Amino acid sequence: MNIDDMLAEIRDANLNYLMLAQQLIRADKAAAIFRLGIDIQIADILESLSNAQVLKLASNNMMLTRFRFDDSAILGMLTNYTKDRALGHSHAAILMAGQSVEELV
Amino acid sequence: MAKKSVLNEAQDIQLATELIKLGARCQLLESETSLSRERLLTLYKEVKGVSPPKGMLPFSTDWFLTWQPNIHSSIFLNIYRYLVQHAEISGVRAIMKAYQLYLEQIEVKPDEEAVLSLMRAWTLIRFVDNKMLASTACSQCGGNFVIDEYDLNQHYVCGLCHLPSRAGKTNKKSHEADIASQ
Repeated sequence: MNIDDMLAEIRDANLNYLMLAQQLIRADKAAAIFRLGIDIQIADILESLSNAQVLKLASNNMMLTRFRFDDSAILGMLTNYTKDRALGHSHAAILMAGQSVEELV
Repeated sequence: MAKKSVLNEAQDIQLATELIKLGARCQLLESETSLSRERLLTLYKEVKGVSPPKGMLPFSTDWFLTWQPNIHSSIFLNIYRYLVQHAEISGVRAIMKAYQLYLEQIEVKPDEEAVLSLMRAWTLIRFVDNKMLASTACSQCGGNFVIDEYDLNQHYVCGLCHLPSRAGKTNKKSHEADIASQ
C-alpha cells in the first residue's frame, strides 16, 4: 500500500463516517448521540451539513474521527476472551456509557 | 382540569403504543400519559391482542442488587443517564429510548426475554429518583453500578470485576449444560 492509496482510504473512511453519522442523527437523534459518543451540539452541526460540505470535510487527508476507547480497562474487556464473551460485552457497555463524550468547548 | 387537546391525545396514544410494544403495563401508562383508563385498556388490547396483566408491580429494591439483574440494571441506568445528560431528553421518553438501546446492547435471543423488563427499568428510575437506590463507581474498573444507598460501599467492587463463584449458574442453565455435554 503506497501513501496515495493510504490517503485515499482515509478519505473514504471519513466520507463513510460522515454519511453514516448523518443518517443516524436524522433517523433518531438521541440514539445517535449515544451510539456516536458525541454531544448534541456536534450532532446538530453534523445534521445540518449539506452534501457539498460533507464532501469537502471528508476530502481531508487526516482522519476525522479518533479512537474512542482511550481507557485500557475497556480495551481489555473488548478484546479479552478469557471471560464469557457476553459478560465482557456487558461490562464494556457499562463503562462506555459512563465515559465522557466528545463535545465542543 | 386542563383543556383536552386532540393533538396531545394523538401524541399520547403514539407514546402509549410504543410503550405497550416494549412491554409496559397499565400502571406505567396511566402515570406517564394523560389517557383515561378505558382508552388505555382498549389500546392495550388492540396492540397486544390480550388484556393487560393484573396485579401489583414488583416493588422490591433487592431484586436490583442480585448479581445478574444488577449488571443489567447498571447497563440501563448508565445509558439512561447518558441520554439525560447529553441528548436533552427526559422523563418517560428517555426511559423508553434508553430501554431500546439497552435491548440492543444485550442481544436477546428471539425466544428469550430480557433480564430487565421495561416495568423494572421504570421502577429502577423511580427508586433512583426517590433515593432508595443509588449508584457508585467500582473501585477496580471505575464503572457505575446500582447499589443500595445504605449498604457499606466504601471499597465497592462490582459483580463483574469480582465474579461470584456460582454466577450465572442457575438450575435451568446447568441443566441445559448437562444435556449439551451428553
